[in-house]
Amino acid sequence: MAASEFPCSLVVDVPLLDHRLASTAMRALQVDAELSPLVRRTFSLVGREDSAGDEEENSTILRTEYSATTNRMLRVAVNGFMESLGVVLQVMEELDVDVLESKS
Amino acid sequence: MPIAIGLEGSANKLGVGVILHAPPSTSSPASPPSPHDSAHSDDESAFRQSKSNPPPVQILANLRHTFVSPPGTGFLPKDTAAHHRRWVVRLVKQAMKQARVQVEDIDCVCYTKGPGMGAPLGSVAIAARMLSQLWDKPLIGVNHCVGHIEMGRTITGAENPVVLYVSGGNTQVIAYSARRYRIFGEALDIAVGNCLDRFARVLNISNDPAPGYNIEQLAKNGKVLLELPYAVKGMDVSFSGILARVEELAHRLEKEGSSWTDSASGAPISKEHLCFTLQETVFAMLVEITERAMAHVGANQVLIVGGVGCNERLQQMMGMMASERNGSVYATDERFCIDNGIMIAHAGLLAWEMGFRTKLEDSTFTQRSRTDEVLINWRD
Repeated sequence: MAASEFPCSLVVDVPLLDHRLASTAMRALQVDAELSPLVRRTFSLVGREDSAGDEEENSTILRTEYSATTNRMLRVAVNGFMESLGVVLQVMEELDVDVLESKS
Repeated sequence: MPIAIGLEGSANKLGVGVILHAPPSTSSPASPPSPHDSAHSDDESAFRQSKSNPPPVQILANLRHTFVSPPGTGFLPKDTAAHHRRWVVRLVKQAMKQARVQVEDIDCVCYTKGPGMGAPLGSVAIAARMLSQLWDKPLIGVNHCVGHIEMGRTITGAENPVVLYVSGGNTQVIAYSARRYRIFGEALDIAVGNCLDRFARVLNISNDPAPGYNIEQLAKNGKVLLELPYAVKGMDVSFSGILARVEELAHRLEKEGSSWTDSASGAPISKEHLCFTLQETVFAMLVEITERAMAHVGANQVLIVGGVGCNERLQQMMGMMASERNGSVYATDERFCIDNGIMIAHAGLLAWEMGFRTKLEDSTFTQRSRTDEVLINWRD
């Protein structure tokens, strides 16, 4: 795909605690395809800059790259992503196995 | 003893339920009162174990929160999805607490795959996917209509009824045959509940707890039957023309007020009479197509499910038809006929017990999903 067709872009990096959470978030969010053909999105897991050692375990940042034909489409898509991300983070924060165990 | 948690959010009700399927030999289950927002609930309800199929179940938790829009408006996808996002974690936490289950007791996470409104379904699907991964439990995508039917069967003990599924989003007459819930008749345009809800908007009838509930209360004080089109088309029904006409009448009422009187009785036309007129017309249509299906399959049991199924006048009219055929009507109270999470947990657990799983990458949601798309392999 030619970058010039989707000139409006944004990269959102969400740092998470560990690889497990980052991978869980990515797998939950990537199931739904982008609704509009005017928007492209890719997910990846990247490591922190200061990290060393095992590569996969250090991939704790969820990177979401958006590109769209117009700024308006980009804004709409990213807003939707933020809303879904909110649910993802809230479930992690309040309903993960360790959280529930410590409350019981 | 398998336990499932179910998440429902296809319309403006967000429901979370936790259900247990007990093996048939255990003692009779009890149903704890379910704290939810409806004002008119009746928490005393014993349900029976059917002699045939549906397994004895225990309702460990059945919580719901409804997004109510102001009078004169309906609920839009964007706002409804925002409501579900705000409430889903809280309801899941409360449900787990009330059910007194730990994560390790749960066997699967069930969610509504469809049909329904896109954005709200999506919010709930994301939460379900997260729970499934964090808790390491299989995901089960459930068809909303099948959820209603299975819950109705189990709660009422009806063995093989013709099902009338009526809600704001769906109107179908269904009969079971060869592992599918087959649609015998349906609304061709809008659902009966949608017709009632949109009529409520014109008269600014409150949406709390639900517009249909408030129409029902008003109709109890109405007795003038004005003329509305009656649109039964074979096995199917159509409501959009009726809605257009009754909206005209509502506008006329607003304009003319008490100067508009019924030609027969001289009584001034009121909101109550309009509500009565609309209910009597649309419910008679539903009774007719249900009776037609019963005649086709030779059934004499009717099970009414879906939010409109709470309506006591509909239950009464259906009862009159059924008793003329030496049959009976089964209906549940609003814990189960209004959208809820427990029906999703129940239908999901039935599928799980047969080995059904929804892979994470397939755990999408869809606005349109036919009731007969689902293979009902837990029945023969």
